[in-house]
Amino acid sequence: MARSLSRRAFVGASAAALSLASGARAPAFAQQKTSISVRIERDITALDPAFRGGPHDANVIRCVFQRLAALKLDGSGLELDAASELKQVSPTLIEFTLKPGQMFTDGFGEMTAEDVKFSYERFAVAPVDGKVSPYKADWSGLTEVEVTGTYTGRIKLSQPNAGLMAIAIGDCSGCIVSKKALTARGAEHNTKPVGSGAYQVVSVEKQRGAVLRRNPDYKGPQPAFDEVKVNFIQDPKTAELALRSGELDFAVLPPAIAEPMRGASGLSVESQPGLAFIWLGINMQKAPFTDVRVRQAVRLALDVDQMLLAGFNGKAPRLNTLIMAPILGQWKEAPVYKRNVAEAKRLLAEAGQTAIKTRITVLNQPAFQTMALVAQALLREVGISADVDVREGGTYWDAGKGDGGKSLDMFMLRFNGKLDPSFLMQWFTADQIGIWNWQRFDSPEYDRLAKAAIVETDPAKRAEIVVKAQQEMDKSAAFIWLTNDVAYVVRRSTVKPAFLPGALDWQLDQFVRA
Amino acid sequence: MSETAHYVASRLATTVLIVLGAMLLLFALSALVPGDPATALLGPAATPEYAKRFIAEMGLDQPWYQRLFTFLGNILLGNLGTDVLSGRPVTRVIADVLPYTFILTFTAIGLAVAIGVPLGCYAATHRGSVLDHVFAFVSVAFIAIPAFVIAIFLLLIFAIWLNWLPVLGAGEESSWLDQAKRLILPTIALSVGWIGFIARLVRSSMLETMGENFIRLSRAYGLPSRLVTYKYALKNACIPTLAVLGMGVGRLLGGAVLIEIVFARPGLGRLMFDAISTRNFPVLQGAVLVVVLIFVLTNLLVDISYAAIDPRIRRQGSR
Repeated sequence: MARSLSRRAFVGASAAALSLASGARAPAFAQQKTSISVRIERDITALDPAFRGGPHDANVIRCVFQRLAALKLDGSGLELDAASELKQVSPTLIEFTLKPGQMFTDGFGEMTAEDVKFSYERFAVAPVDGKVSPYKADWSGLTEVEVTGTYTGRIKLSQPNAGLMAIAIGDCSGCIVSKKALTARGAEHNTKPVGSGAYQVVSVEKQRGAVLRRNPDYKGPQPAFDEVKVNFIQDPKTAELALRSGELDFAVLPPAIAEPMRGASGLSVESQPGLAFIWLGINMQKAPFTDVRVRQAVRLALDVDQMLLAGFNGKAPRLNTLIMAPILGQWKEAPVYKRNVAEAKRLLAEAGQTAIKTRITVLNQPAFQTMALVAQALLREVGISADVDVREGGTYWDAGKGDGGKSLDMFMLRFNGKLDPSFLMQWFTADQIGIWNWQRFDSPEYDRLAKAAIVETDPAKRAEIVVKAQQEMDKSAAFIWLTNDVAYVVRRSTVKPAFLPGALDWQLDQFVRA
Repeated sequence: MSETAHYVASRLATTVLIVLGAMLLLFALSALVPGDPATALLGPAATPEYAKRFIAEMGLDQPWYQRLFTFLGNILLGNLGTDVLSGRPVTRVIADVLPYTFILTFTAIGLAVAIGVPLGCYAATHRGSVLDHVFAFVSVAFIAIPAFVIAIFLLLIFAIWLNWLPVLGAGEESSWLDQAKRLILPTIALSVGWIGFIARLVRSSMLETMGENFIRLSRAYGLPSRLVTYKYALKNACIPTLAVLGMGVGRLLGGAVLIEIVFARPGLGRLMFDAISTRNFPVLQGAVLVVVLIFVLTNLLVDISYAAIDPRIRRQGSR
């Protein structure tokens, strides 16, 4: 006799199956979180301070390795980390004393001054296997780290470097690696790093990310969470869904994705002014832009506020000069250029240019493409016909280099910033023409001021120098500043993240429960 | 037996030529692509010296045909080169992601076959019925909608609204249950289009086969309808389906990149996409070689099974 399935039995079985499935996904609200999950937007490349692949690597490096002193989260200075003492004896000499008993993981022993010497000199002074770090400029002026005792040493410079504390010692380039471990592991150290920080790397998996666990030997302030899962999630939409479903606790997302998440249950969305700089640059060495009047006309033809409204939904703050708050040397009185079609036309007529055909080269990201289209429409009104040349990453980043850079007209660029003005200024010196100075801005006065800013250690005098340098840039009219970007931090309400201004540089070991 | 051996040998020879041709094309094209990995990865932090070092380590300062010869020589030693960004051997980089690709590809194909073949059979044996029309509509809809669109909808429904299944990735290595749970949505997203395609293909193949004389003769002999349909007609109708499955495996191996990105799941497709974006040529070369090899070998297996099912194919191949 055939057995029939009653409706009641079917519904009951389905409910049981559903409850099994949903029960496995039920969030454990009652228990305190011991682990958090964060998103990075690029795959882990190399967890080596000297050869890191970018901010995605740096954010892991900063909690796995120690520094002599670390940047405070508000960017206002340094606080001691591995060092018990860090003294600027003179503009070219810094003395340090390490705390004893700070151990590297995996049995690689105690941190000594030799490790500090190795860690810093490997950038450029004594590169291992001849491999010079791409971040050698952070240690500009370093000649030697002299070891004076097991835990003591002296950092010697050939000339003062006012940015050394913020850019090198206090940040990722100042992370102290184990000489023994790096020598023993070689390239394997990139994915199996040996540090002495609050967390240790348990695993790194290609295209997945990394898992960090509390370092039991770490002597400093204990992190709030036992484990941090660093997830590589390329697509911001996927990150949004993962945040909503509870699989992620923290991510920095574009405004278009993050804004609609306001009010989402269990999540908090905060916007932070960025520490990047985005601008429209003009190639000064290509006709008709060799004439400053043409460049000034372009600047007056554009409406930066309208471009930002289109590109960032009005969420990104306007930038009027190179240096943004809270970096030393911000030119607060920088002119805020307003659109003036009549004046733009007059300048073009004076320059004998009434029908210009040009090109704006941009990266294939929505914000840049949108801003370029708005710029195209605005320029048309003054008689400048601009094509928008959208390029993918590999092709785009090569656009301004070498001989190819000579044929560039206009372009939009975005560089990440750091909490030191010299870091931002370095890209616009004459020796960067054909490399990163796509404007081909060649100003001996600017170069002099840039060099002076690096060596001037008095903050007030340094700020004056930096302001003058920005005035030189403004005079050239080759830089139409747009924005310092905006970072939208989306976090679980129970997690309080820790990051430097701009939300690009995180301190994962200082994330706490909210 | 000698017919089969001859057939296999001739196909293997073709395989080698196909792989050589694919690598030749890749190397020639890589010489035309602008950009270097240092700049693509590091942006302004990439100093000219650093970029030059990367170029030298990847051998990009040599002519493309010289690089190709070196690469082919190294393959014979089992060396696919080194990922210049992480310093790891390319074989290990690929080995890390290959299992995920295999699991997703074969699970998706398996699901597509498990649902598509019965649907196609039913539609063929109930031609003109309401359900046949419904299946036709659904099949075409499945084929037309891109997999990544289906993926987003699946995530919104099952991961967000119902909260039944997770959004991310590949799951904990130590937990097969977690891995299985995270495989469900990507598999469905990837297989939906193939279900529609296989259903339509099986339906049309079966309708064609069921019109053949030998089927009419079998029915005339009084053989049961079920036997005629599923043993005789379906077996013959499966031959074109097998060929399509071989192509499907190849497409999914490297072509699941959008699904891998949406679900943040490791895979060969994503590896190749990232390698192109970062101009990581050693990884790209190695990954393309692996994809081509698997594709060609899978189709070779399909062709062999083709020959095993249909003796006419064996005899044609050996002539």
